[in-house]
Amino acid sequence: MRILISDDALAIACGADRVANAFAKAAPDAEIVRVSSWGMHWLEPLVEIELDGTRTGYGPVSPADVPAILDGRGDAIRIGDVAAHPFIAAQTRLTFARAGRTRPLSLDDYEATGGWAGLRAARAMTPQQIVETVTASGLRGRGGAGFPAGIKWKTVLDAPGARKYIVCNADEGDSGTFADRMLIEGDPYLLIEGMAIAGLATGADTGFVYVRSEYPHAIAKLEAAVAASRAIVAPFRIEVRTGAGAYVCGEETSLLNSLEGKRGEVRAKPPLPAHQGLFGRPTVINNVLTLAAVPFVLAEGPQAYADYGMGRSRGTMPIQLAGNIRHGGLFETAFGITLGELVDAIGGGTESGRPVRAVQVGGPLGAYFPPALFDTPFDYEAFAARDGLIGHGGVTVFDDRVDMAAQARFAMAFCAVESCGKCTPCRIGSTRGIETIDRIVANENRLANIALVEELCETMKFGSLCALGGFTPYPVLSALHHFPEDFGLKDAAE
Amino acid sequence: MNGQERLIYMANQIARNLGAMQHDHAVAAVADHIRMFWDPRMKAKVFADGAGLSPIAAAAIEMLKQGVDPGHQTRATEFNAVDETGGSDAG
Amino acid sequence: MGYERQPDFGTPASSSEEQVTLTIDGRPVTVPAGTTVMRAAAEIGTAIPKLCATDSLKQFGSCRLCLVEIDGARGTPASCTTPVAPGMTVHTQTPRLQKLRKGVMELYISDHPLDCLTCAANGDCELQDQAGAVGLRDVRYGYQGANHLGQAKDRSNPYFDFESSKCIVCSRCVRACEEVQGTFALTIQGRGFGSKVSAGTADDDFLSSECVSCGACVQACPTATLSEKSLIEIGTPERSVVTTCAYCGVGCTFRAEMRGEQLVRMVPWKDGKANRGHSCVKGRFAWGYAQHEERITRPMIRASIDQPWQEVSWEQAFAHAASELKRIQAKYGQRSIGGITSSRCTNEETFLVQKLIRAGFGNNNVDTCARVCHSPTGYGLKTTFGTSAGTQDFDSVEHTDVMLVIGANPTDAHPVFGSRMKKRLREGAKLIVIDPRRTDLVRSPHIEAAHHLPLRPGTNVAVLTAMAHVVVTEGLADEAFIRERCDWDEYRDWAEFVSHERNSPETLAPVTLVDPAELRAAARLYATGGNGAIYYGLGVTEHSQGSSTVMAIANLAMATGNIGRPGVGVNPLRGQNNVQGACDMGSFPHELSGYRHISDGATRALFEQDWGVDLDPEPGLRIPNMLDAAVDGSFKAIYIQGEDILQSDPDTRHVSAGLAAMECVIVQDLFLNETANYAHIFLPGSTFLEKDGTFTNAERRIQPVRKVMTPLNGYADWEVTQELARAMGLDWNYAHPGEIMDEIARLTPSFAGVNFRRLDEAGSLQWPVNEAAPQGTPTMHIDGFVRGKGKFVVTDYVPTDEKTGPRFPLLLTTGRILSHYNVGAQTRRTANTAWHPEDRLEIHPVDAEDRGLKDGEWVRLASRSGETTLRALITDRVAPGVVYTTFHHPATQANVVTTDFSDWATNCPEYKVTAVQVTPSNGPTDWQEDYEALSERSRRIAPLEAAE
Repeated sequence: MRILISDDALAIACGADRVANAFAKAAPDAEIVRVSSWGMHWLEPLVEIELDGTRTGYGPVSPADVPAILDGRGDAIRIGDVAAHPFIAAQTRLTFARAGRTRPLSLDDYEATGGWAGLRAARAMTPQQIVETVTASGLRGRGGAGFPAGIKWKTVLDAPGARKYIVCNADEGDSGTFADRMLIEGDPYLLIEGMAIAGLATGADTGFVYVRSEYPHAIAKLEAAVAASRAIVAPFRIEVRTGAGAYVCGEETSLLNSLEGKRGEVRAKPPLPAHQGLFGRPTVINNVLTLAAVPFVLAEGPQAYADYGMGRSRGTMPIQLAGNIRHGGLFETAFGITLGELVDAIGGGTESGRPVRAVQVGGPLGAYFPPALFDTPFDYEAFAARDGLIGHGGVTVFDDRVDMAAQARFAMAFCAVESCGKCTPCRIGSTRGIETIDRIVANENRLANIALVEELCETMKFGSLCALGGFTPYPVLSALHHFPEDFGLKDAAE
Repeated sequence: MNGQERLIYMANQIARNLGAMQHDHAVAAVADHIRMFWDPRMKAKVFADGAGLSPIAAAAIEMLKQGVDPGHQTRATEFNAVDETGGSDAG
Repeated sequence: MGYERQPDFGTPASSSEEQVTLTIDGRPVTVPAGTTVMRAAAEIGTAIPKLCATDSLKQFGSCRLCLVEIDGARGTPASCTTPVAPGMTVHTQTPRLQKLRKGVMELYISDHPLDCLTCAANGDCELQDQAGAVGLRDVRYGYQGANHLGQAKDRSNPYFDFESSKCIVCSRCVRACEEVQGTFALTIQGRGFGSKVSAGTADDDFLSSECVSCGACVQACPTATLSEKSLIEIGTPERSVVTTCAYCGVGCTFRAEMRGEQLVRMVPWKDGKANRGHSCVKGRFAWGYAQHEERITRPMIRASIDQPWQEVSWEQAFAHAASELKRIQAKYGQRSIGGITSSRCTNEETFLVQKLIRAGFGNNNVDTCARVCHSPTGYGLKTTFGTSAGTQDFDSVEHTDVMLVIGANPTDAHPVFGSRMKKRLREGAKLIVIDPRRTDLVRSPHIEAAHHLPLRPGTNVAVLTAMAHVVVTEGLADEAFIRERCDWDEYRDWAEFVSHERNSPETLAPVTLVDPAELRAAARLYATGGNGAIYYGLGVTEHSQGSSTVMAIANLAMATGNIGRPGVGVNPLRGQNNVQGACDMGSFPHELSGYRHISDGATRALFEQDWGVDLDPEPGLRIPNMLDAAVDGSFKAIYIQGEDILQSDPDTRHVSAGLAAMECVIVQDLFLNETANYAHIFLPGSTFLEKDGTFTNAERRIQPVRKVMTPLNGYADWEVTQELARAMGLDWNYAHPGEIMDEIARLTPSFAGVNFRRLDEAGSLQWPVNEAAPQGTPTMHIDGFVRGKGKFVVTDYVPTDEKTGPRFPLLLTTGRILSHYNVGAQTRRTANTAWHPEDRLEIHPVDAEDRGLKDGEWVRLASRSGETTLRALITDRVAPGVVYTTFHHPATQANVVTTDFSDWATNCPEYKVTAVQVTPSNGPTDWQEDYEALSERSRRIAPLEAAE
């Protein structure tokens, strides 16, 4: 008997280690295998019992459930074939193909499930051919900006310089997001393979992964994986660096400063990191999910990836369902699914059972969408057209008890705390934003102050140096425009 | 060191260093140096009493005493001509 | 000549040769590629609003006032960070931009005190100007919100205040500290709204921080946040005068910003070619000595040094001096008197002093303080290169790949150039330091020497010869260069000499104490690392083999082909502001201006005809020889302008004996200096702020000095010398220093094209300036050495006679510190004492332990010359066996301990090697007590009224 239990940080937080210990005691002959997580958070700790080649899933499991499961009972928490679970079956898992299925640090498992095929393919190609392949796949940066990865790589390839770098942005700080963490914890070799391919494509021989310090499990897994795969990706080499708790260091130029040992302060662009990035050298800086999508593109060809998606958003997006939602977790699917399908059909509505009132997409700087906009397809351009953004694919659900004026104020407060302090609109504007929203709520000169917040948002949006100050207006203005009643206005027209 | 001892020491020190520079004509070089850089009273005192001079220094002093022109032995004693520019021996 | 701010183009100039044409507000403009839109606009007089941008710093992009619209581009890019592109069409003022800028400015002002009328920057504040420029009329957020207005002022720095509540967090100060000064003392602390400028220490005050008070942050600040205390006290200047700093040989150009005759502040001038807009704590702030209460402004005389000084009229002083000098010459002979010119005074003043001695005294007993600093440079470089001036200008460092710094501590002694070196090192140049001490350059923020060779003091020649051994034996010599530019036979002789096993790093290691592997690596790096430049200071020259060391340096540079182009060369870092000029002006006893020997008949004839006198054809006495001759009784009177030989020259007891043996010592100085304790006539001097003239810096750059206030004593120094000459019977009638420069030009070929009008036009000129080079000469030896071929000279290591032994087991070496200048006569009379109130003895923990010494305790420092006491500073900056001190304070008199050994060729004193013993002390030495009493007695003054 083999017992498969995830060692993902979320599963552990839900009690997976305690469950594993209970199985070890109760079934000393069984082989307990720690695998990656399927990404169905409401079912963690999820346990699969493999007997005679058949796996049966249970979840969520507590240590008290262990005897019953071993006795063949446990009907209440039995899932059956996990791969056939509707939440999984409905997905198109290209990046997270191994989720729940392999041991994260097993090179054998990785190889057996198609690992390194992309790197092998890339090694048979010229740098130009690799770049063309990535460009043809339509892969766009998954960090939030959605910039075409192939074009970025080409810029670095064409930039003169003997020394270039690949930097992986794993400073996943958006509220309600966890895809980077899951990928690093569950399939670290995939990221390593993607970085090695980027190195081949651009002539960089060194890569850095900048991981937020709040992810100790991910850091440990990644360091172990880097050590274990050193010979496979050589001469490319990878170093893991840890952040120090600043949200703004997820912004690429702050991240580069932080990597250089400097204050995590945003740099003005130009020069682009692709021209003068880490230590002034041409640098590819990509999100974890972008780099992790690359091995599939190289192994299966660009068209296999580009066949998924809609419009200019090609391939799949690992969407993270979180907040007040019944079925939270990782949902990788082709672009084009609507927000309503995600929240209602996939996510099953709110955890509280109350009506959904607002959904924030794209992290703390994303817009709040009311159910009236649930027909918006998950696509960069479609969200932009409705003054929103998909960002890193985080979807946070709120029920009808949410105070949207407080949420707007929180957006300003978040910016005030997390701003690097360099540019004026962000540094001072966010604090003035809090104060002005307070006055609106307190009904001091309400209409004048609403106009002032609108103008402040304009100043921040077009005047800020980076997306932190520049995107803070999204949650503020979307809250104000879609939920005017929370600001003491009768309706949006007032 | 009193004044006389000091002059002898200086002459010997010059001889020692120019000797170390392996000048073919260390004696002439020492004489050249003293001729171009020493005040007349210093020369006169060493001419008058050369006790303690090293062989090279003594030979150089003798050369100057005889009124022999040692010629320029290093460029340190070649100076700009009246209408020449560019040279400097600024300290 | 009213007061206006120095022009600011916002971002640095691009050096690209490619030109780009674009359109800004409908006007075409062509600028070098890489120029920012902001600078391009400034070039045609369009001032785009800005706060965080200033052209001395790299573009930053934080204030968001300089946003523009560009046809075809998304959004509103910042003009300071957007480079120009061909055909670009830029709009600097649109309704949208106006609204955005107003919105940003409204935010600034919502967190700024509204005390403009009582603010030190009122009328000279960029925030004020820009608020006006963007048309801000209202702050709708009110002033009740969160703010920084209550923050305490930091007044810890003696020269400037930091008023955090006025800070707009533009980071200009932080960036200036990093990019310009390279100290990294300042930072932005915190995040978001809480971001603030911090000096980064626990107390968070400037004085206790790493700040070196260079003033770059104050200059960069666009508001009153960082303001000079003098500005706060006096008010905004009403006029400014460009002049040259009178401290070190870097020769920084400053704007003296004035109200009436009151100096408000000294601000480095951006167009200064030596400093490029930077400064150090001395030139920027330490000018208060000019008005110090201890300045002597009336002439004084006395019959003997036991008596109090008697104030007299100028006429009495000149008449008395002339009669004494004549009396002594009549009694002891024409060559019984002499004088010393000052490297602190102007070229014109120096020229007059040597002229007075040669033409008035009728002998050549003239010398200058170059004797005790860089005279071996003169000898050594002249022997090898044919001329001794430094081969490069300061800008050359920007092309250097490997710096070899020997016996120099530029971040303390030449701080403005030190900052430029550090900047280049941060850009990736490699560094080798040869120094017994771990100087700041060896390791400081973002800088680390590739190799530090901590040699035993006195073994420079051995180390350099060992490096040459590596270059030659490992086949790293640049033979093509040597064959073309140097004497090949002499090279072969030299190569054979250095290749000998006895000159290998391994054989010499017991002598030098330098790790042979490290030395080999350093030699390889210098020889093969690209453009190699050698910078050296007094740690090279002030040795018994100083001249040999200079020649060894020149050999190494020639052998590796590191001569004759930007980025390479041999660069003596000169000490005094005008030491180059003093030498150029004929201050040495054997030569007239322009380095022509006194024995040359044609040269003498030129001067004799112009001056109408006969000149003595024999060389005169050097300073140490003058003192020897005084003790021996053949030298009886001396005229010393602006030099304090008692404190600065070695073996103080010998100097005092020499001075005491003279019948007439005339001192011309700002203060009653230590030498004046032995003087009979005191002639008050004037500061560089009180006269016109020129200084010549270490790059041979002749720079104007301009009078900004009336001399307190009534006369500029050149006028005092002229009056003394007239009293001696010379018919001198110079009405202005410009006339003296005309005479210098007339008599000195390398100055032929120099006059005050041309200097005003050009700002500065590097000699030679003549028909062949009317614009001057920045780099020497470009196509070939100035005189003939480069000569290799065999430099065998001859150990100094100053040896350690049981009585004196340690080696003392001396040096300087940033906040003080030389004998400290000026800087000790400023607030610079806040950083360095006394000289301390640096001693290694092991040596301190052996002697039972504790940090901060008094120790007795003794040599065979004498002894003194001072407090110990226990540090591993010095190696075991080596101790170190500065000589800025007369209470210490470090030179009581130094010896009378000197360079074999030039008599430059061997300050850097003295065998000493250090023991615990319970009080001042007898010498210190006696000298203290003598000083007190000697400084008594009877005022003029009392005599009447």
